[in-house]
Amino acid sequence: MSDILLIVRREFNERVRKKSFIFTTLLMPLLLLALMAAPALIMEYAHGERKRIAVVDESGLVARSLESDGELLFEPTDLTLDRAREELSECFGVLFVGRDVLADPDAVRLYADGAASVGLERNIESQIARILEAEKLKAYRIDDLPAILEAVKTTVRLHTFRNDAAETGAAFSSTVASVAGFVLGIMLYMFLLMYGMMVMHAVIEEKQSRVLEVLVSSVRPFDLMLGKILGIAAVAVVQVSLWGLLAVAARVAVVPSVLPSELEAVLASLDAAWLVRIFGCMLAYVVGGCLFYSAMFAAVGSSVDSVQDAQQLQTPITVPIILSFLLMMAVMNDPDSSLAFWCSLVPFTSPVVMMARIPYDVPWWQVALSLAILYASFVGMVWFAAKIYRVGIFMYGKKPTLRELIRWIRYR
Amino acid sequence: MDILRVEHVSKHYAGHKALDDVSLSIPRGSVYGLLGPNGAGKTTLIRIVNRITAPDTGRVWFDGHEIAPDDVRRIGYLPEERGLYKKMKVGEQALFFARLKGLSRQDAMLRLREWFERFGIEAWWNRRVEELSKGMAQKVQFIVTVLHEPQLLIFDEPFSGFDPINANLLKEQILALRDRGATVVFSTHNMASVEELCDHITLIDKSRNILSGPVGEIRRRYGGNLFEIVYRGDAAHLRAALAGRCELLPEQPAEAGCASLRLRVDDAARIREVIAAANEAVELRGFAEVVPSMNDVFIRAVSGSL
Repeated sequence: MSDILLIVRREFNERVRKKSFIFTTLLMPLLLLALMAAPALIMEYAHGERKRIAVVDESGLVARSLESDGELLFEPTDLTLDRAREELSECFGVLFVGRDVLADPDAVRLYADGAASVGLERNIESQIARILEAEKLKAYRIDDLPAILEAVKTTVRLHTFRNDAAETGAAFSSTVASVAGFVLGIMLYMFLLMYGMMVMHAVIEEKQSRVLEVLVSSVRPFDLMLGKILGIAAVAVVQVSLWGLLAVAARVAVVPSVLPSELEAVLASLDAAWLVRIFGCMLAYVVGGCLFYSAMFAAVGSSVDSVQDAQQLQTPITVPIILSFLLMMAVMNDPDSSLAFWCSLVPFTSPVVMMARIPYDVPWWQVALSLAILYASFVGMVWFAAKIYRVGIFMYGKKPTLRELIRWIRYR
Repeated sequence: MDILRVEHVSKHYAGHKALDDVSLSIPRGSVYGLLGPNGAGKTTLIRIVNRITAPDTGRVWFDGHEIAPDDVRRIGYLPEERGLYKKMKVGEQALFFARLKGLSRQDAMLRLREWFERFGIEAWWNRRVEELSKGMAQKVQFIVTVLHEPQLLIFDEPFSGFDPINANLLKEQILALRDRGATVVFSTHNMASVEELCDHITLIDKSRNILSGPVGEIRRRYGGNLFEIVYRGDAAHLRAALAGRCELLPEQPAEAGCASLRLRVDDAARIREVIAAANEAVELRGFAEVVPSMNDVFIRAVSGSL
């Protein structure tokens, strides 16, 4: 037992004291934020220069009502279509509106110099549709039309209440839940791969540097492998907890000043108990999932001589992780489906899938059952992996196949 | 009593036989050489003794009982390919291994200080292993191996990578360990070190134990009753006096006024007769048995010209 502790401590200290650990711990959340903010930022800054579009309007209804914006500048012209296309070459395109556009809304064409983006097409389509609708309404000669339209405009926001929620009346936003679930699922997916790879690389490094021979002359291979896995799981706990603290700090110090007030309201509606529960589950699944997958990664690491050789053998491990990510997408659509239920019990998929479901208030017994299965499977998996590990660490030179790995399990 | 006994151990790897019915026993308190050409099976045997791999057949006895998992704590093993964590600091690493061997923190620190001083490497304590040269790392590895004062020490090629000064330092330490009661087994290709250090050897070739026993006895056995006379006087006279009593070998070049003659005396009873005859004929300066070097023994045994 004390051997395992020594190995756990070495593994933990070696990693946590590294500068790269501090960097990753600080930079990961920033990276994650950047990743989430990137699409919005790209949309914000990507439209480049304003495009000029000449408008040849035979109907006389559309051109004067088109509204230019930051992206598009509409310039009505009296030239005919053919001459406009010839002469106004400095424009991005020529928009042609047919004489009978009211009766025939398809009589609208854009002659563009390059590929027109979907956004640009939508913009023009919706503007013309709005103009034509207004024209058609005008034909009914209703007084005070704009005022009436304004008066009838209605926006509905649905508030869903859970019948099984303990706190009656607590509004539950499924938007918040789905965003939170998605983010949590992705995080689990990343952690499983990240810490699993860490274990695999650690094992390969020991094998390459022949430290293993020295170690094995004083420690049982099983203790060695378990110590390594537990040590890296401890790193995971610390790292995830630090991220939790960072998140709380950011929530208190930074978020209120930068977030739009509507989102701030949503965040404020999340109660502390909910956050604590999510964080608790997160830790439980990160540790359980990492332990379970790390055992397999350790077995693969032990059976190869270099990281390059590991590629092929690690596929059977990475596939379930990627699969659980895909299943998570499906589960998000219906978090109470039987697919969701079973995927949250199977240990290969449960960390990612269950974590994505947690924000939807999964019954506690499901969480408990799923965690029990996960941790029990870890014990089984360690036993299984140790058999491969024990043989693998002394196999040099030959790259084993999956079949051989399975045969090693039966070795005495 | 023997501290280690290997009985009829065989080990097959896919496609080849690494050990074929090897038996040997290592007397307590001896320095035991495990010799053999590359790929003969020495490292496999060492790994079996360390319980890193299991033999297919055969048994290993340690200190009177069949070897058990906990016995590896009483064995210090220096593997041929040295293994240390490259990124770890020397002192921390030595402490880690010492504690894995079951030493308490204080005890380990105390002994480490002593050994670092003995090897003059106190200044390395806070350096990373990757900054050390091969020989330097090897010193650290040696310390890690012997620190917990195991009863049996197994060194696989301990001298490779050492300069003559450090090799000597290592030899001194090996003998000192022996004097303190440890049994030392080492495999090597360095025959000079075998002559200097070992009192017993086993020679393994092509997975089999082909030669085992005390070093002096083996060398004499391979000597073929060869003797050398150092003398002053008339060479022809001496040859005439000895003719018929023994087999004379070609003349050796004379040096510093003394000539020498080699001869083979197959019948031990005639040695005194030969000495007496030589004493009559010339001024006798020396008479000694010519014992072959371990190098000669090794080459002759392995090439089968026994």
